[in-house]
Amino acid sequence: MSRLPGLMLLLGLLSLAGCATTTPTNIAGGGTQLETRQIQTREYDTLDKAMTMRSVIATLQDLGFTIDQADAELGTITATRLDQYTMRMTVTVVQKEGERISVRANARIGENAVTDAATYQDFFVVLDKAMFLTLQKVD
Amino acid sequence: MRRAAYSLLLLAGLSACATPEIPESALRLPESTLDIRSIQTRTLEASSETVILTATIAVLQDMEFNIDRIEKPLGVITASKVSDADDKNQKTGLFLLDMLCAMGGSGSCDASSTAKDDQHITLTMVVLPNLARAGEYKVRITIQRVIYDKMDRVLVLERIDNAETYQTIFDNLRKSLFIQEGKS
Repeated sequence: MSRLPGLMLLLGLLSLAGCATTTPTNIAGGGTQLETRQIQTREYDTLDKAMTMRSVIATLQDLGFTIDQADAELGTITATRLDQYTMRMTVTVVQKEGERISVRANARIGENAVTDAATYQDFFVVLDKAMFLTLQKVD
Repeated sequence: MRRAAYSLLLLAGLSACATPEIPESALRLPESTLDIRSIQTRTLEASSETVILTATIAVLQDMEFNIDRIEKPLGVITASKVSDADDKNQKTGLFLLDMLCAMGGSGSCDASSTAKDDQHITLTMVVLPNLARAGEYKVRITIQRVIYDKMDRVLVLERIDNAETYQTIFDNLRKSLFIQEGKS
């Protein structure tokens, strides 16, 4: 007797099990909390909160996003870019102790969260330049 | 043969789990950044940031947009509208195609149903005061749109880069500012 049908069934079940995701993961997201925060966050001590937010908005516009909403008090900016795909970003600007400003960005492309450090690094490279330019005007 | 079947099954299983890759340059500035920035930005003079925001709201209303959100402390206005994306020539062409098809005796002539339908346009306007010169403001507008077909399927996702569109809006904004400043 061939054991092929049995093996095929097993393989089929295994491949399905590999794709299965449980509801809590889909809601709370993957990755560890600390690791994700480190990748998505930078701290600055140059501009105040309002000017940092304006620099973030300029950066997002340069990157082709339109601003869905911005809240100066809470320090959040949400933006969308429609390209071949839909990319959404939320950036939060928080005032920390000692006049430090923390900027955290998180991005999604379609249904997937952007988790790779390099993409966030690219974002902060553009933001660094925008912050520098704003700082020169302030001075 | 059996080995090939296993490999195929494994590959099928793996491909079902694959998530689309994040484009490598997703958050890098494209080379066209400076061109796009100059198309979307103008320097305007006004007595205050509020005057520019008010004049913009009036222009957006003229253009039949709805204002979704305004965040005055950051100088951000977000507006949107849904409009017909059908090109008149395209509609006529498809109608003629249907007519020819019907004259040919075919029963299933529905080329017109492939016409593009609604477009959802979102627009953001951001005012940035020039910190070096009082009374001078940089205004940047960005526009995007999604076009859906008759079946509500997404046909086009794009940023509007057309210089004339932005020029028309800024011309209207200058007029609106003139009227507003003239009144005050």
